[in-house]
Amino acid sequence: MRRIIVVVALSLLVAACGGTSVDVSAVPELPEVTAEEIASQLIASEDPVVVNVWASWCVPCRSEAPLLARAAEQDGVSFIGINVRDDQNGARGFIAEFFPDAPIDHYFDRSGDIPVALGATRGVPITLFYAPGGELIRIHSGVIDERTLALQIDEIKAR
Amino acid sequence: MEFTLLGAVFIAVVPLYLVLRWEAARSNAATCTRNLWDIALGAVVTGVFIGRLAAMIGDGVNPITHPGDILIFRGGVATGPAAVAAIATAAWFGRGVLWPVLDGLSAAALAGLAGWHSGCIVRDSCLGTPSDLPWAFAQEGSTVARHPVEIYAAVLLLAAALLLVWWRTERILAPGIPMGIALAVASGARLFTEPMRPSLGSGPVWWNVAGIAVGLAAIAWSQRRSRAQPASETK
Repeated sequence: MRRIIVVVALSLLVAACGGTSVDVSAVPELPEVTAEEIASQLIASEDPVVVNVWASWCVPCRSEAPLLARAAEQDGVSFIGINVRDDQNGARGFIAEFFPDAPIDHYFDRSGDIPVALGATRGVPITLFYAPGGELIRIHSGVIDERTLALQIDEIKAR
Repeated sequence: MEFTLLGAVFIAVVPLYLVLRWEAARSNAATCTRNLWDIALGAVVTGVFIGRLAAMIGDGVNPITHPGDILIFRGGVATGPAAVAAIATAAWFGRGVLWPVLDGLSAAALAGLAGWHSGCIVRDSCLGTPSDLPWAFAQEGSTVARHPVEIYAAVLLLAAALLLVWWRTERILAPGIPMGIALAVASGARLFTEPMRPSLGSGPVWWNVAGIAVGLAAIAWSQRRSRAQPASETK
């Protein structure tokens, strides 16, 4: 029994040390924007928009990222990602790992001021839901689950 | 920190404990409340842990390289693997007195699930697909009335739990039948409400159908077994 435990523990250790190598070369640097530019983009949008605020150092952001990547594949709704208080390498690595092909426009906000200007807090993750024309419908703080995301997308599509 | 999730867990645990206490005083429970309570908590924790691991793997996140993600339960818990792991854990702790333990937990598990679903009130996640029914309501700031789908599930499960408590108090059921009923009802409630839940394409419908089939098979097997044996041996 002790041998089995040792073998399992060593296997887990080796697997954990292996890590996940992510090739960031295919991901361009994220453009820096201001809160005004994001607001203009939201007002000009004819589709409802989901804005997700994330950071590569944020564990809960990683947890919800696969769900957001899947949700972004559907028609009739646009997705914007705002990377906050991060560095370009970390952000690009996160995108390469979780959003390699997802149709999400990601922007870089080193100060983390954009979410505050949009009406949210400085925490991450935060997801904001906008009707066409830029009307803010809902702010969800913390990890978002599939039911909540699907419900809020349905709401902004109905506007 | 997801305090609303903790609130929902608390709302689930309270009815589970109350039903165990109620049943211990009035029914043919073979083990004491405390043992069943310990087993129930162990099964819940194991079920949630395994369900979370399964959800992470399903989403392509390696739990070994990202162990911290395991704690982000709101990121998703796979219902099917969680249920299997919870039942397996209860069966492991109850080995030797398998049926009395599983049967003793059955009504309490249904009540706990009812509490979990009604916890949508603190999580602000009761609503489902749009509906014209008179009791449908809209979220704040919205004009779209929706099914209170989590409340439907809670009412169904609570009614089934109370019925099972009453049934077990009134008569001695053959070993395995309460567990089979609970499994079939829990899966059936989920299957019934699934079309009213908003989703991005992932409905655990296959697991729900399998749960109903296993529950009904357990009921049929228990009935056959009790008929084939004298009443004193099946008790």
